[in-house]
Amino acid sequence: MVKVEDIKKEAKRILKEGKVKYIIGYKKSTNGLMSVPAFIESPEDVENLIWDPTCVYNLTRFLVDEKRRKAREKNPDERPVGIVVKGCDSRAIIVLLQEKFINRENIYVLGISCETTGVLDEKKLLKKLNGKKAEKVEYDEKDNFIITTLDGKSKVPADEILAERCLECRANFPVINDILFGEKVDRKLDNRFKSLEKIESLSKEKRWGFWKEQLDKCIRCYACRSVCPMCYCDECVVDTINFAVTADTTAEEKAQRIKWVEKSPTTSENFVYHFVRAIHLAGRCIDCGECERVCPMDIPLRFLNKKMEKEAKELFDYDAGFDPDQPSLVSCFKDEDPEDFIR
Amino acid sequence: MTDEFEPRIVAFLCKWCSSAGSDLAGVSRMEYPSNVLPITVMCSGSVSPLYIFSAFNKGADGVLVSGCHPGDCHYLKGNYYARRRIALVKKLLEFIGLEPQRFQMSWVSAAEGKKYTQVIKDFVKEIKPLGPQTKLRRNQ
Amino acid sequence: MEKILTKKSFSKWVKKLESYKIYAPVKNDDLWNYEIIDIPESIQPDYPNTVLSPKKIIFPQREIFLEFKASNEEGLEVKEILPEERPAIIFGVRPCDARALTLTDNVFKGDFEDPYYWKRRNQTILIGLTCNIPPSFDCFCLSVGGSPHSKDGLDILMTDLEDKYYIESLTKKGNQLINLAKDCFEEPKVMDKKDLEKIQANSEIQIKRQIKDIKKIPKKLKGMFDTPFWDKESLSCIQCGICTYLCPTCHCFDINDEVASSAPLKGKRVRTWDNCQFPDFTMHSSGHNPRPDKASRLRQRILHKFQYFVELYENFQCVGCGRCISKCPVGIDIIEVLDKVRDYGL
Repeated sequence: MVKVEDIKKEAKRILKEGKVKYIIGYKKSTNGLMSVPAFIESPEDVENLIWDPTCVYNLTRFLVDEKRRKAREKNPDERPVGIVVKGCDSRAIIVLLQEKFINRENIYVLGISCETTGVLDEKKLLKKLNGKKAEKVEYDEKDNFIITTLDGKSKVPADEILAERCLECRANFPVINDILFGEKVDRKLDNRFKSLEKIESLSKEKRWGFWKEQLDKCIRCYACRSVCPMCYCDECVVDTINFAVTADTTAEEKAQRIKWVEKSPTTSENFVYHFVRAIHLAGRCIDCGECERVCPMDIPLRFLNKKMEKEAKELFDYDAGFDPDQPSLVSCFKDEDPEDFIR
Repeated sequence: MTDEFEPRIVAFLCKWCSSAGSDLAGVSRMEYPSNVLPITVMCSGSVSPLYIFSAFNKGADGVLVSGCHPGDCHYLKGNYYARRRIALVKKLLEFIGLEPQRFQMSWVSAAEGKKYTQVIKDFVKEIKPLGPQTKLRRNQ
Repeated sequence: MEKILTKKSFSKWVKKLESYKIYAPVKNDDLWNYEIIDIPESIQPDYPNTVLSPKKIIFPQREIFLEFKASNEEGLEVKEILPEERPAIIFGVRPCDARALTLTDNVFKGDFEDPYYWKRRNQTILIGLTCNIPPSFDCFCLSVGGSPHSKDGLDILMTDLEDKYYIESLTKKGNQLINLAKDCFEEPKVMDKKDLEKIQANSEIQIKRQIKDIKKIPKKLKGMFDTPFWDKESLSCIQCGICTYLCPTCHCFDINDEVASSAPLKGKRVRTWDNCQFPDFTMHSSGHNPRPDKASRLRQRILHKFQYFVELYENFQCVGCGRCISKCPVGIDIIEVLDKVRDYGL
């Protein structure tokens, strides 16, 4: 694993030189093992930065906040924002650049290679420890995690507690960066859609049963949407915030406004919400797995996006998040796109 | 009269081709099932996936999107975009376990009244045995 | 009334309660949640805390108020829908979650009594379980006036004494349940009482997290409305609704007409949970939003819980269950935020 000292040194330098206005990175949390996002403004605070297998967050989500905040400021600081990214996160930056949501000169990318490992799945870890609290998790460079609990240290094969996305990762190396930490290590990956095939192989009715059970759990907290760097629409289809009202708008018109999705967390409404999200992320999702990680009800949301990723690849030979200059999946076409399903 | 199930099909028809095609079928007095609720749109490329989800949500037993043949789009390439998008929607709906027959796409030009009737006939025939679509329907 | 119930007799007792709708924590995959139980044996009171508190039973996320239908004679035909009339029992309620209901009670009574809430509340019996071991790493009930064996809001409190439960019946409703199956219970011995006291005292020691000097906080918050503190604290907030939806004391709701058909007009009036962390929560129909950013929304959450509610009902609107901490996607820790509030230099 990359040494945090190297990252701190560079972070300190760019802050001291005034190259960036602040750095988005990881720091230790106050309530346990997992790291939390850190916003480092001064060289002194750089000491808080950490880099370990608990740095799961895709921090590029905060570039969306940054853009909004800047738009509200009268005299915004025009310097770039420093951001720590892993391989997967760096692909999100590519998509945001591709969609011209952010400009290259507004970010300073501190890219970290995951090298031979990845990040933890907190839920898997908790299960592994039978509810015991882990104090520290380290990587031993030999495909094991060393977990420290109050009862001492134990060794766990990395595959058992790595996040699902890391097990199917195709970009353990930042595809965009201004400074790079770590080596590019090729990973063997025989099938990037392996986990998906379990569901695909079910019968139609079983698949329906699976998804109904899963999506019926949804409480519509919208954490999946909120955590996603690609969900940056000013108005989401499930909110009704921008309905234009003037002094002349009648009560009737207000009542007749289009309401695509009811607030009720019922099967039909939950499906519309999750369909819209899946389709809207087709060709944009870079499989950082954050939606699934944050879901309080443990809905395997990643499968929906993964399915779209697979279809984009198989139908249109499209891969998201590697080339900022390629046109986006649904705003381009090829003459030879499949049409055997059309009558 | 039997109490046979009559499916309700929401059809998004491009104004420049399929919608005109359905008119042609009408004025030519061709016979075809009356199960379709046509919604004229400016282009098959303007059909947001949300319209499709919403149609199923509000109780459609089947949804059809019909546009111009490749190369014939009034806006040059709207139907090509639609082709991509609809392919993805179709895969998504099948993935969650909706019967694939319930969501279809067709190319019907303004001159193809006959083809339009055939598309509708086939559609109705295929989804009749499936019964009402209850999976995604709002429970009112 | 105090009794002893052996673990063997437990399911025997539950079987006698057949006429009630019984809820208990059920594990699905790795998630615990309250569900209706048909087989008494499937109740396992030994569980970490549920994702959602019993709030979801007393104050469900979706409640139908009424149905309306256009009719020729009356113009609009309206039919009130009240919750099903059937007494219910919730097993394995954590003391913090039961206390939470005593707090939401304040909100749903007063000048207007909410018939839907009270109908469910009055017909539900809460059987609590002492937290011998804290069900979450983030429990801090002691700091906000609760305890792992608090009796507030409960009808019966059960305490696990290894091979048996110590049963403390706290209300008439609780006594009734015990009287339904008198032969299942034994009288507690002096030793049992001693064991109980030991376990309950020990349970308090196990709560590791706390907010010091919490009494100072409401006053302090009063002067903090316009400080840059909130901008800084909310930097990592992503504005999802987890903290509020999972909170056992949060009770904000929205009422919508769900129209099934516009001609003829037909539909339902429905209450659903709402969430102060969402942008449309305070959106005016004029387009103005008085809480335009995440700083003001985080501030609202903290102020409501630790200032406004205290001013209104002399109690924190927080029971220290720790859900908002454990489940926050970005690790916002309400204990840390309040610590900072207390130490904030004005």
